[in-house]
Amino acid sequence: MDGSDNSDNSERSDCSDCSDCSDCSGRGTAADLEAAIRRAAQENVESSTARLFLPLAAVERLCGEHCLSPADVETASLALGIAPERYLRNFETYTLAEQVRFLRAHVALVGLGGLGGYVLELLCRAGVGNIRGADGDEFAPSNLNRQLYGTLRSLGGFKAAAAAARVAQINPATEFMPVAAYLNGQEMEQFCAGAQVCVDALGGLRDRPALARAAAAADIPLVTAAVAGQGGYVATVLPGQASPADFFGTDPASLAAAAENTMGTPAPAVATAAAILSAEVLAIVCGRGPQLAGSMLLFDLGQMSFEKVRL
Amino acid sequence: MNITIKCFASLSRFTPPDAEAYPVEAGLTVAGLIDLLGIPEEDIKLVFVNGSHVERSVSLAEGDRVGLFPAVGGG
Repeated sequence: MDGSDNSDNSERSDCSDCSDCSDCSGRGTAADLEAAIRRAAQENVESSTARLFLPLAAVERLCGEHCLSPADVETASLALGIAPERYLRNFETYTLAEQVRFLRAHVALVGLGGLGGYVLELLCRAGVGNIRGADGDEFAPSNLNRQLYGTLRSLGGFKAAAAAARVAQINPATEFMPVAAYLNGQEMEQFCAGAQVCVDALGGLRDRPALARAAAAADIPLVTAAVAGQGGYVATVLPGQASPADFFGTDPASLAAAAENTMGTPAPAVATAAAILSAEVLAIVCGRGPQLAGSMLLFDLGQMSFEKVRL
Repeated sequence: MNITIKCFASLSRFTPPDAEAYPVEAGLTVAGLIDLLGIPEEDIKLVFVNGSHVERSVSLAEGDRVGLFPAVGGG
């Protein structure tokens, strides 16, 4: 820290979340940060692509020295063409510019159980910067066959709490807002407001149409998935389009007849659906746009078949 | 004429042994096929023919690929 005046630096986030920092006036200018990133990246060359990268430990150090969040430091590094080490293996699949969009993205995730746990894990590792996740449920022993954050230690605890603890262990650049509550229709709308995409990771049929309406009201795409046995689907619903769940019904007879009630929800199908969900969310927030809009990807792991159909 | 049939999830038990080349009369509708297969009508929520969602009144043609999908909501 060089003690120079940074009052004209409008690019900086305000430092509101580091109340224990008594030396913010010394955090330096954007140019100081850039120079520090270049110094830290110097001689760190990834062997297969010959790219400079910013070591993981340097991100944490620069956050402290410059009073910035991990997402701020990583964004500054990406803007210089220097990949943060933790995202190295995403390239060439996601460009530096797309990685910046991940860090700036806002995702609303409803359900933190089977589908939601894996989705959160994959989005967090990809570097999605802002995820709000809601689930009023607590972990039960019957969740252990598939739910990533359901462990012997987390049993009985809120899924939202276990999810928050996990995110903190994986990627401090992800700001995760846990909501340990079941959302009603109006709350779903509020939950979607300001997000770029909503993920339906609910279990059961009952609440899915309401979530589709909430996403439409917020004018954002809904990415939805469900499984039963070895099969399932993933779909993207744009505002105004029909959702698969609209065809399934929410009356008691329909809820009782849902295929998962007899076939269950084994882990491979759940993880498959969640991985496809995550890839679609990343396609949306990085600016490429949805690949399943108005479509359903149907899969059957029993026969290893995948088919994309128009809804 | 022959069609192919794919029954998803809980409907898979209705899959006929010759689902890859299932012989039907020309002009058979989706509703007629569902009847032939013995699937309770209310158990099918979505029908796809050649990758597109269709109504049950649609008539089938040689080589059509029919997908039958039940209510699926697990997560």
